[in-house]
Amino acid sequence: MSGTTRFKEFIKENMWVFLVLFCLILINIINQLSMGETSGYFWKNVLWHLIGLVLFCLLVIFFDYRKVPLGFVWIVYFLMVLLLMVLALFKKRWLVIGAISIQPTEFLKIILLYLLSLYINKKKELKLENSETIFLLGVILLPLIFILPVDLDYAFIIGTMFFSFLLFFGFPKRLLVGLVILGLILFIILTPIMWNKLKPHQKGRIYGYLDPEKYYKTWGYQLSQSLIAIGSGGIKGQGLKKGWSTRLDYLPAKNTDLAFSVFAEAFGLLGTTIFLILYGYLLYWGLMISTKAKDLLGKALSLGIVLIFMWQAFFNIGGASGLLPMTSIPQPFLSYGGSITIATYLLLSILFNIAFKKVFFK
Amino acid sequence: MFDKWQRRENLDEEWKKRYFIGKVLLFFILGILWLRLFYLQVIKHSYYLKKAKARSVVSYVIKAPRGEILTADGVVVATNRATFQLYIDLENLANEESTLKKLSFLLKEDYGSLKERFYLAKKMSFGRILLKRNLTWDEVARILVRQYYLPGVFVEVETERYYPYGEAYFHLLGYVARINKEEYESLKNYGYSSEDFIGKKGIEKIYEKFLKGVNGRLEIERDAYGRLGRVVGKISPKAGEDLILTVRHDLQMRAYELLKDKRGAIVALDPKDGALLALVSMPSLDPNKFIVGFESEEWNKYINDPARPLLNKAIQAYPPGSTFKPITALAGLEAGIVKGPNWSVFCPGYFNFGSHTFRCWEKKGHGSVGLIKAIALSCDVYFYTIGSRIDIDFLAKVAREFGLGEPTGLGFPDEKTGLVPDSAWKQKKFKSSWYQGETINIAIGQGYLLTTPLQMARAYMVFANGGNLYKVYVIKEIRSKEGKILYKESPTLEKKVTIQKDYYNWILEGLRKVVEEGTGKAARVPGIIVWGKTGTAQVVSLKKKTKTTEHHAWFVSFAGNSTPEIVSAVLVEHGGSGGAVAAPIAGELYRTFYKIPSSQKEIKILEERIEEVPQVYEAPEERPNVGNNTF
Repeated sequence: MSGTTRFKEFIKENMWVFLVLFCLILINIINQLSMGETSGYFWKNVLWHLIGLVLFCLLVIFFDYRKVPLGFVWIVYFLMVLLLMVLALFKKRWLVIGAISIQPTEFLKIILLYLLSLYINKKKELKLENSETIFLLGVILLPLIFILPVDLDYAFIIGTMFFSFLLFFGFPKRLLVGLVILGLILFIILTPIMWNKLKPHQKGRIYGYLDPEKYYKTWGYQLSQSLIAIGSGGIKGQGLKKGWSTRLDYLPAKNTDLAFSVFAEAFGLLGTTIFLILYGYLLYWGLMISTKAKDLLGKALSLGIVLIFMWQAFFNIGGASGLLPMTSIPQPFLSYGGSITIATYLLLSILFNIAFKKVFFK
Repeated sequence: MFDKWQRRENLDEEWKKRYFIGKVLLFFILGILWLRLFYLQVIKHSYYLKKAKARSVVSYVIKAPRGEILTADGVVVATNRATFQLYIDLENLANEESTLKKLSFLLKEDYGSLKERFYLAKKMSFGRILLKRNLTWDEVARILVRQYYLPGVFVEVETERYYPYGEAYFHLLGYVARINKEEYESLKNYGYSSEDFIGKKGIEKIYEKFLKGVNGRLEIERDAYGRLGRVVGKISPKAGEDLILTVRHDLQMRAYELLKDKRGAIVALDPKDGALLALVSMPSLDPNKFIVGFESEEWNKYINDPARPLLNKAIQAYPPGSTFKPITALAGLEAGIVKGPNWSVFCPGYFNFGSHTFRCWEKKGHGSVGLIKAIALSCDVYFYTIGSRIDIDFLAKVAREFGLGEPTGLGFPDEKTGLVPDSAWKQKKFKSSWYQGETINIAIGQGYLLTTPLQMARAYMVFANGGNLYKVYVIKEIRSKEGKILYKESPTLEKKVTIQKDYYNWILEGLRKVVEEGTGKAARVPGIIVWGKTGTAQVVSLKKKTKTTEHHAWFVSFAGNSTPEIVSAVLVEHGGSGGAVAAPIAGELYRTFYKIPSSQKEIKILEERIEEVPQVYEAPEERPNVGNNTF
């Protein structure tokens, strides 16, 4: 089979997911459009998508996920840890280079995923030794230590993402039980100590989460506004640019963290259901890829990508809807953001690359 | 090679389990999110929509202009004027301190006093706070150009009630004042807003539902920074309906002037149909003050004033005194006690009944007195004689024929019905039987008998029109702002009093003589005939008479060229004698009615000393303190 026919076949085979991806991108663009007057965001968002799409196409076709050497990833990993260290030193979340500010945590997810997947790929079976597990946990925790002081939420979420990832690869049962017990003990002991160490805004988030209506004007403001926005959307939604919460600036961080609330207000349960179905289909397709992938690296990578996207949505939408404490993480395909958009495309291109490359296996 | 294949097969097998777990996890997490969204967007939708609206849309009441009140001759006596009001909306107020500071600078007012007023108003009000009324154009301009920096500060153009004639119409029109919390709670479902004014007394209260109109509503979007955006809804207010009174403005104003420095009431009715021509009670106060609100000190002054300026004296009950005598005379005629105009009684100046001696106000006595002379000179002995023979229940029945002891139909909630006592009443009230001696008191309008000036005017209406007792009415028409007549009052004949022609003529002759040559000469008006009866009602026993406890002066009368066209009752509390004090007032009123130039010169009165103060019969037992009311 020639390259072009293979490509055609790949497209044909995965027509639905391409359609779904197209819809999700469209939703993101429409959602940013529905924010109204901030047209600057809209065009920048379109631009990031164009850059992302070009990257996506190039990587899917010309990249081979198997050809990444472990040593190279280690180097990138340590460079990233160094960068995070420096940023933590300056108490900065963003790396600002001229006009562009980059959120390194978005890219840390990709590096960690690749590193863990490559390590697992060397294994003969789906079973981790205790020492290996502790080593891998250390690999995950090392960069998170430096994220912790500047972005507690994201550190916790990345931890969750990769801890759950390791669970799929034969996490030693005894160690798990031990860790869980240790975790519980630490939680009980550390909570009172940590509580006093928490910054007022972090404590406030907890207060706001527990009773958004009581702290309507202070800590619960974001959550209250988000709940009102989502709730007032109803079944059919308020319509594009019509929702009060969005139009009258009641929703804070509407372009980024609470982009989901904007979408929910404008398009209602109908819109959010469609979004969850599309998003869910994409992830489900990712899981299918993990079964179809011919090597463990492909399986691990695609599963990891699915988990990253899944937890990201869980914490973002769960936070916006008051299910979980509000965290400041963006939602792929709804939020605006250069780093999240590019990182999303990079993860997707790895996933599609796995799907594309499976035909090359003998 | 085989090893590799084997490994892959094992891996695929093993991976199927992982895949399954992953699938379950994915569906579980998306499912939880979806259920949460379903809860928020479907089950709690209306709750959050309501919250969204409450947060994002400010709704302002556009007050409906209150209906105007006009007199029969077209003078507007209650109207609205546009004023600029400065409101503070606490919900939008960003910084109380700095906003007040800015306002004190803009209004050129002392910060401290402004702040004090703000807190006082805050305590009183339950909606927006009205900080300053009647802003000048200058102040409005200064505030409006800086409105952007003054979130929560609003200048509103409002129509405010205005009474051009102030005190003169107070007791008739009543007044409006800001709705209070209890009223608001009970009326908020009937279109009232917390900033509304509501009729609290008189016509303003009774006809509130016509005058009020329907408030409009303005809904404006408010963004997260408190700035107001576009109008999302507007319901225009519907103006209240106009009331056209039966009152004649010139008469009302004249009545007010005549009573200005006195205490008492003047009521004038049209004997043809019971229409109210004038109603004044003094002292009075300016109803415009209720709109501004009183300082508590000023308010206390009004409520503690012994002259009771808040009380509408035209509808309070007083002993009618001698003005009741024509009714006694009619009852005497009908009972057959008075056997014609020539049936006479000798008045030696006193009347003995049992062991008690009743005195005539004329100590010398009137000599031989017939019916007409008795009325004209208000001879007490003549009426004592009737009273000593007549059955109280019959006298009470006749009095009730004239509408005494019952509401006049005006409909004011503070109207007193007065009291026409009879034996059954006494039995019920005091558990004792009636003494004939008490009837003697009633016969001259004292004792338990109580009537309001309005009732007396209405009773004399029967004499004036030959037997028709109409309900008193004050609203001629209710008109919409477009000029459509919504309601037109037609006179209601309550009852027809049948008076024998002869009796009627005799009593009318007597009433005419009162003014022509009797006690009421001061009411004489050249060119027209005035029929009337003076009265001097005893307030407290003579022994304790002081300046403030002087007798109430009455003059109830009617006037016309040949047929009476106006009937009036004048009461001057503690004024002294009816002939000297009340009668000239009635005369002046009729001059105004017939547009005859006033003659304010002192009219020589027949007797200089206090006329017709009878001595009240002291009942053998404890006597109820009815006649002794100091109102």
